[in-house]
Amino acid sequence: MTDQADQSRRNFLYIAAGGLGAVAAGAAAVPFIGSMFPAADTLAAAKTEFDVATVEEGQLVVIQWQGKPVFVSNRTPELLAQLDGHDDMLKDPNSEAIEEVSAEWMTAENRKYRSIKPEYFIAVASCTHLGCIPLYKPSAGRKEWGTAVPEDWPGGWHCPCHGSLYDLSARVINGSPAPHNLHLMPYKYTSDTKVVIG
Amino acid sequence: MKKYSLIAAGMFLALAMPGFASANEEHGPALKHAEIDLTDQEQIRRGLTVFTDVCMGCHSAKYVTYKGLMDYPEIGITREQVDELRGSNPLTAGLITELTPEDAKVSYGKVPPDLSLIVNGRRGGASYVYSLMTGFEHDDSGKVPDGNFNEYFPGKRIAMPDPFSWLGHDEADTKQLEQDAADVAAFLAFISDPHQNERQAIGKWVVGFLILLTLVLWRLKVEVWKDVKH
Amino acid sequence: MLDTIMQTKLFAWVDRRTGAADIIKSQLTEYPVPKNLNYMWNFGSLALLVLVLQIVTGIFLAMYYKPSAALTYGGYTVAFDSVERIMRDVNFGWLIRYMHAVGASAFFVVVYMHIGRGLYYGSYKEPRELLWIIGVVILLIMQGSAFFGYLLPWGQMSFWGATVITELFGALPIIGEYLQQLLRGGFAVGDPTLNRFFSLHYLFPLLLAAIVGGHVHALHVVHSNNPEGIDVHSDDQKINFHPYYTIKDAFGVGVFLTIYCYVVFFNPQMAGYFIEVDNYVPANNLQTPAHIAPVWYLTPWYTILRSFESKLLGVIAMGGSLAILFVLPFLDRSKVRSGRYRPMFRLMVVMFFVDVIVLGYCGHSAPSETLKLVGQIATAYYFAFFLLLPFLPMVEKTKPEPEGI
Repeated sequence: MTDQADQSRRNFLYIAAGGLGAVAAGAAAVPFIGSMFPAADTLAAAKTEFDVATVEEGQLVVIQWQGKPVFVSNRTPELLAQLDGHDDMLKDPNSEAIEEVSAEWMTAENRKYRSIKPEYFIAVASCTHLGCIPLYKPSAGRKEWGTAVPEDWPGGWHCPCHGSLYDLSARVINGSPAPHNLHLMPYKYTSDTKVVIG
Repeated sequence: MKKYSLIAAGMFLALAMPGFASANEEHGPALKHAEIDLTDQEQIRRGLTVFTDVCMGCHSAKYVTYKGLMDYPEIGITREQVDELRGSNPLTAGLITELTPEDAKVSYGKVPPDLSLIVNGRRGGASYVYSLMTGFEHDDSGKVPDGNFNEYFPGKRIAMPDPFSWLGHDEADTKQLEQDAADVAAFLAFISDPHQNERQAIGKWVVGFLILLTLVLWRLKVEVWKDVKH
Repeated sequence: MLDTIMQTKLFAWVDRRTGAADIIKSQLTEYPVPKNLNYMWNFGSLALLVLVLQIVTGIFLAMYYKPSAALTYGGYTVAFDSVERIMRDVNFGWLIRYMHAVGASAFFVVVYMHIGRGLYYGSYKEPRELLWIIGVVILLIMQGSAFFGYLLPWGQMSFWGATVITELFGALPIIGEYLQQLLRGGFAVGDPTLNRFFSLHYLFPLLLAAIVGGHVHALHVVHSNNPEGIDVHSDDQKINFHPYYTIKDAFGVGVFLTIYCYVVFFNPQMAGYFIEVDNYVPANNLQTPAHIAPVWYLTPWYTILRSFESKLLGVIAMGGSLAILFVLPFLDRSKVRSGRYRPMFRLMVVMFFVDVIVLGYCGHSAPSETLKLVGQIATAYYFAFFLLLPFLPMVEKTKPEPEGI
């Protein structure tokens, strides 16, 4: 520590070493934090292929997508007819509360169906209340379901956990604890009946 | 100081020494050198074709997925090409042969090894694969039937029948067969450690940066130690 | 910079509740160190650095590693598959795994240099006997930890290495068989072995961290030895640890990291020394690889084991070769510490270093008649070195030590 020049050189070296060291430490954190994000094979499994022709008329299947359950229902013309006439019972008949999947296919007329092909309905099978899987109760009225559903039941899903109700397009019915319609996810048809979900 | 660096150097030499020694211990002739370039996309793609056309008749490479064939920039074939290769297999499936382990046992007496890690898992690596492919000969002692005699294979008797029909091939085809063998060796070397090119690319920056940091620390050490009187 | 931090209000708040200022003063800024330490004294801080690196990389690997020997397609296992998933699919998994694998070897390089320095300069002598003994405990735990860790990829070398080493314990009379079963959790190395080795591989480094704390504490009580090996009394021959040795250690860290990263990024398998070729072949309990040898850092002891016809004698000799390190401070009766002033000791200790390298070479190579003889001679010298130490002062004429440093 003899003179001014020495002192300033020393300060410069301190700052340079500290700065480079900080950069090194920051860069070293990147691979470690990066490693905790989903791995390539997990991401590759983010898409699910499914052949909707395997769902029989009027039936519902539950498939897996990204580890979550997904409903695929095949709606007959009768079931599709049950979608009309109860808009006043719905919290959000046109699915406007949440920006829906894709404006491309969510045209004015199929807001009612909430699907690309009206007969095949595909949605995430988790109740928007607390994530239970709702039960499928497609026929209208109380005949098959008893008092679990209201008298003017249009057919749809009933969540066993806290009683949320959805119609056959999984639009939530007034009075349910669930805040939103069942979520839709992006999907597209790669052939007549094959869909790629995700 | 010099003394210790000598000792250190000696230790490293001693570490390296057995490497040469054990290479010589291996029985059989010296391996033929495989001309491979893991940055050569064309060669790796040709190797992929050899792999799917020839090797995959019996062998799998289960750690490589069809999707990987598109995603690794070193291969980077198109979705259409992948679709053609995979048939009805999902994109996320590994390259798995249609020969079942049971059938393989009946036909060849053993299950052919998975080739995902064959280059890392054999002494000589890519050169071993290359030598093996071009090493089928006629056994002069007559003990091993043609097609099973390969002097690069430990014990010289290999269950795998001459995949390229190297034994008795036409002189005119030699170049092509050697090229095929080198190509498939390149492909297998790549899939043994698919991030190796990326690793070396990042490594240049890392090591370069550390050299700079070390130089600064060295100057700082010299500077601060000026205080210490000897 | 440290001064600036220590003047803040926040620091004062912490200091009143922890006595941090006193700790920093007594352990860093006013901790006296002989001013003449050479670069061989850098390896202690480097060992600490590698320990931290191993623990950090290990924790992240454990997020994806699965200790299961259940078979999967192609003769692989769940454990092997999970390692390959880390190498191929996990973001930067290849980097973290190579850092860990190379780190294991780097740990031993650094620690062996550290031990060699202690031997040469007599750092194990009074008053540092306990410091040395704690160090030997650290070495043993490290070797155990490395051995447990090597099983985890469940490759051929993992499997057969673990088989051979657990087989050794079977050689002990009476308890041998039980000890072997206790280690394996079965009659052969298998799924239970893999699970307990994973558990212990996670535990041992944490033990290490604690014992290293004790090692450093013991050091700070007795203070550093120095190349002259003499006690340093006058204050002008000592300097404060911070900033002088912190910066010198930082420079050492820079050199080390440069070499380490070069290996990690450009040659992580180190031609089969750091990750053996056969370990890329999945474990097969029906087929032993043509040539099996432990990883390089265990080969000297492996040679000692192989040098005896009787399995029991071999095991005892191997155990003894490590155990004898504990009593080294009491075997060496000379009052002079540093090899610089002990001509005969100096010759013997340099020969000992060469001897360990020869033992390592023999242990790594395929067995042959010549190498076996060489190994036996080297083993004999290994023990002779320690056993001759008590008698050395009778014949050795030490050189006069300097007054100061």
